[in-house]
Amino acid sequence: MSAAVQTERLRKEFPMGWFRGRVLALEGLDMEVQRGEVFGLLGPNGSGKSTAMKMILGLLRPTSGRAEVCGFRAGTIAARRQIGFLPENPYFPNFLTGMELVRYYGRLSGMGGSVLEKRIQELMELVRLGGEAGKRPLRTYSKGMLQRAGLAGAMVGDPEILLLDEPTAGVDPAGSREIRDLILELRGRGKTVIFSSHLLEQVEDVADRVIILHRGQKLREGRLEDLLTRKKEWEVSVQGLKEADRKELRGWLEKHGAEVVREGAPRERLEDYFLRSLPEEKRR
Amino acid sequence: MMGSLRRISAVASNTFLEAVRQKVFAVLLVFGLVLIYGANYFTEFSFQEQFKFLKDLGYAAISLTGLLVGLLGASQLIPGEIERRTILTALCRPLHRWEFIVGKYLGLAVLLGVMVGVMALAVGGVLGWKEAQLVAREGSDPAVAAAIQKEARDPRLLQAVLLVGVKLAVVAAVAVFFSTVATSTTFVIAMTLMVYLIGHLQSVAREQWLESGEVVQAGAKLFLAAVAFLVPDFNLYNLIDEIIAGNEVVWRSTLEVVGYSVVYITVLLTAASVVFEGRDI
Ligand SMILES: Nc1ncnc2c1ncn2[C@@H]1O[C@H](COP(=O)(O)OP(=O)(O)OP(=O)(O)O)[C@@H](O)[C@H]1O
Ligand SMILES: [Mg+2]
Repeated sequence: MSAAVQTERLRKEFPMGWFRGRVLALEGLDMEVQRGEVFGLLGPNGSGKSTAMKMILGLLRPTSGRAEVCGFRAGTIAARRQIGFLPENPYFPNFLTGMELVRYYGRLSGMGGSVLEKRIQELMELVRLGGEAGKRPLRTYSKGMLQRAGLAGAMVGDPEILLLDEPTAGVDPAGSREIRDLILELRGRGKTVIFSSHLLEQVEDVADRVIILHRGQKLREGRLEDLLTRKKEWEVSVQGLKEADRKELRGWLEKHGAEVVREGAPRERLEDYFLRSLPEEKRR
Repeated sequence: MMGSLRRISAVASNTFLEAVRQKVFAVLLVFGLVLIYGANYFTEFSFQEQFKFLKDLGYAAISLTGLLVGLLGASQLIPGEIERRTILTALCRPLHRWEFIVGKYLGLAVLLGVMVGVMALAVGGVLGWKEAQLVAREGSDPAVAAAIQKEARDPRLLQAVLLVGVKLAVVAAVAVFFSTVATSTTFVIAMTLMVYLIGHLQSVAREQWLESGEVVQAGAKLFLAAVAFLVPDFNLYNLIDEIIAGNEVVWRSTLEVVGYSVVYITVLLTAASVVFEGRDI
């Protein structure tokens, strides 16, 4: 079976007007995302993440190189049928309600009738915009709600691949955690998720594999497990160890030829602390 | 095929609804209606002249309002959507770009159709009102009453309304074409107005040039032919003036102009789709 997304020496230059030359946004990107993977595109601002995504969708034409989606050439209808896309800072026709938005995108994907209506209900529940919330116009939505409505819209055609450009930008921690859980749930259903972000803690929690881009070039690529695990070290977290026994433990470790690299009370992550501080109903 | 229709109608209805919710178009419609209603207060001269004035003004109001709606609408369609970036979430769907263009155009055409329809009804209403007034005042002689009625209820006005509608539809197609090339709203409006002017002047200029007796060189001929091919001939719609002047215009020639317009719109939308196909969004 072909890879979910495959690019070969994908390159994009933007002409900047007659005398100002061109901007090189992406420089020969090779990338392969397997089906069922959660894949992170990382990189600072302007590193080419969005450009790569838009070429995978066929919204931008590559200057050279090629991209394929499930074996179909990027930009063809067959390729786009496989992808649901959530752009960065998305703008939606804001006079529509949440449900109307998903219906509009469903109809744009050629869906209709009771199949579509059923799908809309399902999705609104899934992104927790069921009931009254789904019937309000989008201009009354918070940033987090908008993002979730956009996600529902991206998923309407039940695509194999979800392409999410900074899905958690501007969303509060509880909201980001929801989006993260949703990504994990999608992976559980066998979907492929490709997302970009520069919020690294979040990437760490969900991505199987990442690429790090910088000024349009690929710096690093690999499984998070391989990239981040310090294979030479071993960590044990214990509770109730007395001050006096610590010294003894150090001695024991030294005797066995181990070197203590780090030691002390571990700190909780701010995100977890923040979420714990909120009242129960705000956390989920 | 079914899917194509669904997608096009989704784009069209969304475009129409979005436009309806914008205040500009409501304001323009009110402006048109006020103009039409105002014509009613012109009570000098003979009743023929009064009716002529009403029809002239009604035509002017519909044309002007429709032109503004077409220009503003089309320049919002694609440059506006790119600016607001709503276009990304639409064009990433499995729909062809030509379907998007056609849907956008149809949404605008329906908007124009509704506006022309409402204003035409208003003109009809004002004509009826005038008729009642005049008959009450001058219509003691049945012959005069009949003449007044004939002026007010001229069935040829339907032809005129149809022609105004298709003329505006052609202008909108020109604007949609430019909006696929452009990144700025102003460019679309300026280029469309230019084509509109050239479209009105070209046949006059051509006749002048050809009949001036000068030797027309092959190059000049080619240039004229190119302009004639690229720019719709808006003088064809002068039939409307004929109708308003009370001259006979047969349905056949009206329908010929409608046919010409449909062909032009098709050509323009095809060109727009080809240009748009290769464009970076
Ligand atoms: N339409 C465009 N015209 C000209 N240059 C562009 C265009 N789009 C992107 N670029 C340039 O291409 C480069 C990559 O941009 P891109 O938006 O892909 O970065 P990104 O990694 O998504 O950044 P961010 O994190 O800010 O979203 C940048 O230098 C940007 O200025
Ligand atoms: Mg980006």
